[in-house]
Amino acid sequence: MALLEVDNLQTHFFTREGVVRAVDGVSFTVEPGKTLGIVGESGCGKSVTALSIMSLLPQPPAKIVGGSVRFEGFDLAKLSERDLEDVRGNEIAMIFQDPMTSLNPTLKIGTQIMETMQRHLGLDRKQAKQRAIELLEEVHIPGAADRLNDYPHRFSGGMRQRVMIAIAISCNPKLLIADEPTTALDVTVQAGILDLLEELQEEYEMAMILITHDMGVVAEAADDIVVMYAGQIVEQAASLELFDHPEHPYTEALLGALPQIEGEGIREGRLTAIPGRPPDLADPPPACRFAPRCPFSDREDSCAKEPPELRQIRSGHWVRSAHPASERTREPAVASK
Amino acid sequence: MVGFIIRRLLWTIPVLLLVILMTFLMMRHIQGNPFRHSERAVSPEIQANLNRKFNLDKPWYVQYALYVKGVATFDLGPSLVLRNQSVNDIVKAHFPKSLELGFLAMVFAVVLGIPLGVIAALRPNSVFDYTAMFFSNVGFAVPSFLIATLLIYFFALKWGDVFGLPTSGWDTWQSKVLPVIALGLGPMAYFARLVRGTMLETLQQDYVRTAKAKGLRWRRVLTVHVLKNSLTPAVTAAGPLLGFLITGSFIIEYIFAIPGIGKYYITAVSARDYSVVMGLTVLLSVIVVLANMVVDILYGVLDPRTREART
Amino acid sequence: MVVSPQAQRMRSPDPAHSGDIDVAGAGMPIRQSSLWRDARRRYMRNKGAVVAGAFFLGLVAFCIFVPIFSPYDPDKVDFSQAYLSPSLAHPFGTDQFGRDLLTRVALGGRISIAIGFAATLAILVIGLTYGSISGFVGGWLDNAMMRFLDALYGLPYLPFAIITLAIVGTVNFWTMVIALSIASWFTSARIVRGQIITLKENDYVRAATAVGARWYRVLARHLVPNTLGVLIIAIFLELPGVILGEAFLSFIGLGINPPDASWGSMAQEGRQVYRTHTNVILIPSLAIAILVLSANFIADGLRDALDPRTKET
Repeated sequence: MALLEVDNLQTHFFTREGVVRAVDGVSFTVEPGKTLGIVGESGCGKSVTALSIMSLLPQPPAKIVGGSVRFEGFDLAKLSERDLEDVRGNEIAMIFQDPMTSLNPTLKIGTQIMETMQRHLGLDRKQAKQRAIELLEEVHIPGAADRLNDYPHRFSGGMRQRVMIAIAISCNPKLLIADEPTTALDVTVQAGILDLLEELQEEYEMAMILITHDMGVVAEAADDIVVMYAGQIVEQAASLELFDHPEHPYTEALLGALPQIEGEGIREGRLTAIPGRPPDLADPPPACRFAPRCPFSDREDSCAKEPPELRQIRSGHWVRSAHPASERTREPAVASK
Repeated sequence: MVGFIIRRLLWTIPVLLLVILMTFLMMRHIQGNPFRHSERAVSPEIQANLNRKFNLDKPWYVQYALYVKGVATFDLGPSLVLRNQSVNDIVKAHFPKSLELGFLAMVFAVVLGIPLGVIAALRPNSVFDYTAMFFSNVGFAVPSFLIATLLIYFFALKWGDVFGLPTSGWDTWQSKVLPVIALGLGPMAYFARLVRGTMLETLQQDYVRTAKAKGLRWRRVLTVHVLKNSLTPAVTAAGPLLGFLITGSFIIEYIFAIPGIGKYYITAVSARDYSVVMGLTVLLSVIVVLANMVVDILYGVLDPRTREART
Repeated sequence: MVVSPQAQRMRSPDPAHSGDIDVAGAGMPIRQSSLWRDARRRYMRNKGAVVAGAFFLGLVAFCIFVPIFSPYDPDKVDFSQAYLSPSLAHPFGTDQFGRDLLTRVALGGRISIAIGFAATLAILVIGLTYGSISGFVGGWLDNAMMRFLDALYGLPYLPFAIITLAIVGTVNFWTMVIALSIASWFTSARIVRGQIITLKENDYVRAATAVGARWYRVLARHLVPNTLGVLIIAIFLELPGVILGEAFLSFIGLGINPPDASWGSMAQEGRQVYRTHTNVILIPSLAIAILVLSANFIADGLRDALDPRTKET
C-alpha cells in the first residue's frame, strides 16, 4: 500500500483581494522508501502542497477546501490538531528552505534537537542528549558533544541545514518532506546535503518528498517526478522516463533551461528562458494555465477554451496538455511571445 | 557571560561620573542665591562665610571632586536652605514613598499589560483585540494628570460612597490605589501594545513553523519558542519606562499630595537649594543608569546573540 | 496590483487571449507603482489614521481660527461672569476671571501646539546633525558620541528640563522650547544614526561610491531621501512627548506665565476647583489628549504606510 496518497488536494487562500487557488486539484502517491520529486517555479504551489500535507498553513487565510491526504490510511486533512501534533515530527518530518531562520536563535541546538525526542519518544534528558550527539555525528558535524551547547548563529548555513536534518530524522519518521533544502545554500554545499539525505534515507528506510525548482537536483535524487505549474500537476512520470521523454511544453522548457556541459545529444546553442511570468493565482486563465506562455498554442486551438485533463500518454506517464511532445505535428506555432 | 556582566558594570562608572559632572555644571549656572530667604540682601561678610562653609568659594573642579568623593561615600551633603537637615535626611524621609509608588505602578503595568498583549496577539482582529488595543491607545496618549483627575472625580467623588478611596496621602493601602493606577495606566498600555506587536511578528517567524512541524505541543511552542522571544523587547522597554515613571511620579505626587521627592524637588529648585537639587538629580540619574544597565544585562541573558558583538 | 475579473474583461474582450495583448490581467504579472503613491494609498486605507489626521487638522484649525472670530476679549476680567457653566453663549463656560473658555482654549492651543512643533523641529535638527555626523563618520568618533549619549540618557527628562529652565531664568515661549528640546533629542539622534549606518552598508550606496560619487552627493541623493520617511514618522512620535512635557511643566507651575496661557497652565488653574467646575481643568486636558492621541495614530499609520514589510494579517 502506498505510504502517502494525496487525492485531488485543493488549498485556497482567502485574502482581501480575492481567493488565491494555490493548490487546485493535485494528486500523487508516495511509496515507502521511495523519493518523489516535485518541481516547478516559484509560486506554482509546491510548498503549499507540502505544508498542506502537514497542515502547517495558518488557517485563516489558508484552508484545505477539498481532497484528501491519506497517510497509512488516515486522512490527515481531517485530523484534529492534537492528533496532528502526534504525527508531525514523528511519522512525517519536514525540513525547510532557509536554514538561517528555521532555527530558534535563542535556544541551544541541543535543546532544539532533544525536545522532539523527549516529546515523541518519551526519552529523558540523558537519553535524549546521548541520542542528539549520535544524530549530530550522523549528519557529519564534528565535535558533536560540544556543539550541543552552541546557539544557531555559531553555525554556517550548510551546518544549520544538517542540524535541521538531524532534528527531522530524530524520531525515525516514515516520510521526510524536504522543501527546497538546498536552495539557500552554495552550490558546493548543496551536493553534500543531497548526498546526506540519500545516505540517511537508505539507512532509515524513509520515503522522501523532495521539492525544488532545480531540475538538476531532482534528476539525481528522485525516483518519480511531478511537475507543477500554477497550482496544478502538468506532468508526472518516473524520473528516467521524464528526462528521456518529456511531454509537456513546460517540462521541455525547464529541461532546455538546464546548462549541459557534456553528454550525449547535448544541446548546442543558447539556454532557453521561458518568456512571461506565472499567472496570478487569484485569477488564473480559465482554460489551460500555461497557454499564454506556451510556444505550441495559438488562438485557434482548444487550449484557450477547454482546460486540458491529466491523461495517461504512456504507461506510468501522465501529462496535462493539448500539445504533448509525442502528439505534435508541427513546429511551434509562435516562435516567441 | 560573566565577562559580559562585568564589562557592563564597568561601563556605568564613567557614565555616572559624566552625569554628575553635567548636573554639577548645570547647577552652577542657575542664577540666584540659595542664601537669600527674603528680599533683604545678605551682607557680604555673611555671604562670604556661608560660601566658605559650603565650599562654594573653591574652584569648580575642586568642588566637583569633593562632591564625587561625597557621592562615593553616600554623603550627598547638607541642604543649603534647610540648615539643620542634610540631603541624606531628606532623601531618607521622602524617597521610599516615591520608590514604592513607582514600583507598584510598574508591577501594575506588567501584571496587567503583558497578558493583555499576549491574549490580544493570540486572537488578532477579534473583539477582544480591538477593545484591548483601543483602550491601550487611549491609556497611552491621555496625559496622566487627566487620568488622575478623572479617577479622582469618579472614584472618590461621584462614587465615593461605593469605593471610598482617599485622594491624598500615602498611608493606608486604599490611598495607594488611585495614584498607582494613574501612574501605571500609561506603561500598562505601552506594554500591551508592544507585546502584542512583537508576538504577532514572532508568530510569523520560520522557527515557530519549525517548532510546529516537530509536532511539539502548542503550549510548549508558545511558552518556549514564542513568548521567550516576544518578551525581550518588553524588557528593554522597561528601562526608558523607568524615566517615564520618574517624571510621571512628579505629577502624580503633586496631584495626590504624596510626600515624595517629586514635590520636594520642585520646591528645592525654586529655592535654589543647590545641594538638594544636585543630590536628588544625582540620585535619580544613578537609578536610571543602573536600571539601564540591568536591562542591558537582562537582554544579554535573554538573547544570546547580543552577548558576543559589543562593537 | 491585482486586476479584478470585471476589470480584466473590460480591458481585454477575449479573456482567453489576454496573454496576447499587453494588458494587466490573467497571465500577466503584478504591476509596480511608486513608493510615495503606494504609501499614500496604504495610509488612506487605514481608517484610524485618516480619522486621526482629520482630528489633528481640525484641532489646529480650531486654534488658529476661533480667536480671530471670537467676540470675546481673552484678557478682559469680569468677575460677574466667573465660572459659568457651558452654554450657548459660552460653549465651554468661563474661568475664574470670567474669560470665555472657548477662546482661551483656542489661544492656549496656539501656544501649546506652536511650542510642540518648534521643539519637535529643534529636536529633529539637533538629532539629525548629531546622528548624521556620528553615523556617517563612524569609527571612534561614533563610539565616543554614542557613549556621551548613553550618559545623557541617564539624566531624567523632567528634572533636566526643570534645571534648564532654572538656568535660563525666565520662562517664555523660546526658553520652554529650548528646555524641552535639550531634554529629549537623544532618541531622534539614535534613530538617525541607526538609519545612516544601515543605509551606509546598503549596496546601492556602495555602488554609488564605487562609481566615484562624492560623499556629499551620496549623502544628499541616497541617504537623506531614505531617512525622510523615518523623520516624518519621528515628528509625529516626538510631538506628543513634547506637548505632554510642556503640559506637565506648566501644570506644576513652572510653565508659561499669565496672562499667556498654554493648555497645561490652564489645567493648573482649574485644579483647585475640579470638584465644582470640572470644565476648567477638563477641557484643556481633553484638548491635549486629543492632540496626543491623534499624533500617535498618525504616526502608526505613517509607519505602516511607509514600511511595506509590516504584517498583512
